[in-house]
Amino acid sequence: MGGSCDLAITLARRMIEAELFPILTYRNEKGREYISKNLKDCQKKYSSVYLEFGNRDSIDSLLHQTGDDIDFMVDFVQGNFESLVASADIEDVYSYFAENVSFRAEVVKKVARIMMKKKKGRLVFISSAAAKRPNPGQGFYAAAKLASEAIYKNLGLELGGHGITTVTLRPGYIDSGRGKKFIQDHSKEIINKVPIKRALTKKEVAEAILFYLSNRSAGFNATEISMDGGLTAGK
Amino acid sequence: MDILEEIKKILVEILDIENYIITPETYLIRELGAESIDLLELAVAINSGFNIDVNDDEIFLRKLRQYVTEAKQQNNDLLQYLVKNLPFLSRKRLEEIIADLEGGPTLKVKDLISYIEWQKS
Repeated sequence: MGGSCDLAITLARRMIEAELFPILTYRNEKGREYISKNLKDCQKKYSSVYLEFGNRDSIDSLLHQTGDDIDFMVDFVQGNFESLVASADIEDVYSYFAENVSFRAEVVKKVARIMMKKKKGRLVFISSAAAKRPNPGQGFYAAAKLASEAIYKNLGLELGGHGITTVTLRPGYIDSGRGKKFIQDHSKEIINKVPIKRALTKKEVAEAILFYLSNRSAGFNATEISMDGGLTAGK
Repeated sequence: MDILEEIKKILVEILDIENYIITPETYLIRELGAESIDLLELAVAINSGFNIDVNDDEIFLRKLRQYVTEAKQQNNDLLQYLVKNLPFLSRKRLEEIIADLEGGPTLKVKDLISYIEWQKS
């Protein structure tokens, strides 16, 4: 889910190399075109389908197209919402949580029930280091991430015995997507804050996700993994 | 398709019990000890096996106690209130349920059959 971000496309490419068939979701025509342009050398080795967070009809449309054949789900979706808690438009707060928490819960519920039929499934939620250490203005973003993490954690707790497991990955600064410009503008500051003195590359995050989809990582369940170069470990 | 036989097969697999102890009158929770995770599995298996949409709250009568409370608070006739909110159960069955409320969870195998028949019709 959230297939038109650079990280998802990098992961899709690695999945194709691993002979998996990724299905990438997009929320508008621009997203569909972006996926198509960036995976034009991989035609027939992936598909893309419409899913717009907040549009509940789009879930059934998505699941109609995927059928009962879902082995993995990687969830990159997250709307951005930057506002100080005390200055936020409260209507925006309600709709943000409806889209980024309630809607996600519906997707997770429906996908989990499909996976239950196969008695097998792995879900990876891409959270953020901001869930653990938000900056001012990221309160709602962090709250939605933490709420979503809890949904995935409980799913792994409840259905681990039925072959369905979950992992949350909390990446730190990634030189990709919406973080790229921030990193370019604040490179010195980031180097000072991150113990490994650099941002993560989208390739290394995609490799980590692939690992968490593999059987080698089967012992990880209902947990959150930080992948932030040590950013959130210290004061 | 014999709905009872299909449900028996599903319950035998999920609850690891003998087929012969299941009848339409068997209580799922009181007698078979079905827990919430078992009911979730049962809902998924019924959805898949009978190709019907399953609303877990409806099929497992999860809102029964809430309806009883609401009927009392609103001074509604309980039977009429349940007829309206649990339309897949017959009046006769709802009368049985009302008489059986003190005994614990009232869900029986025959309630699943009624739900499946109602959804398929």
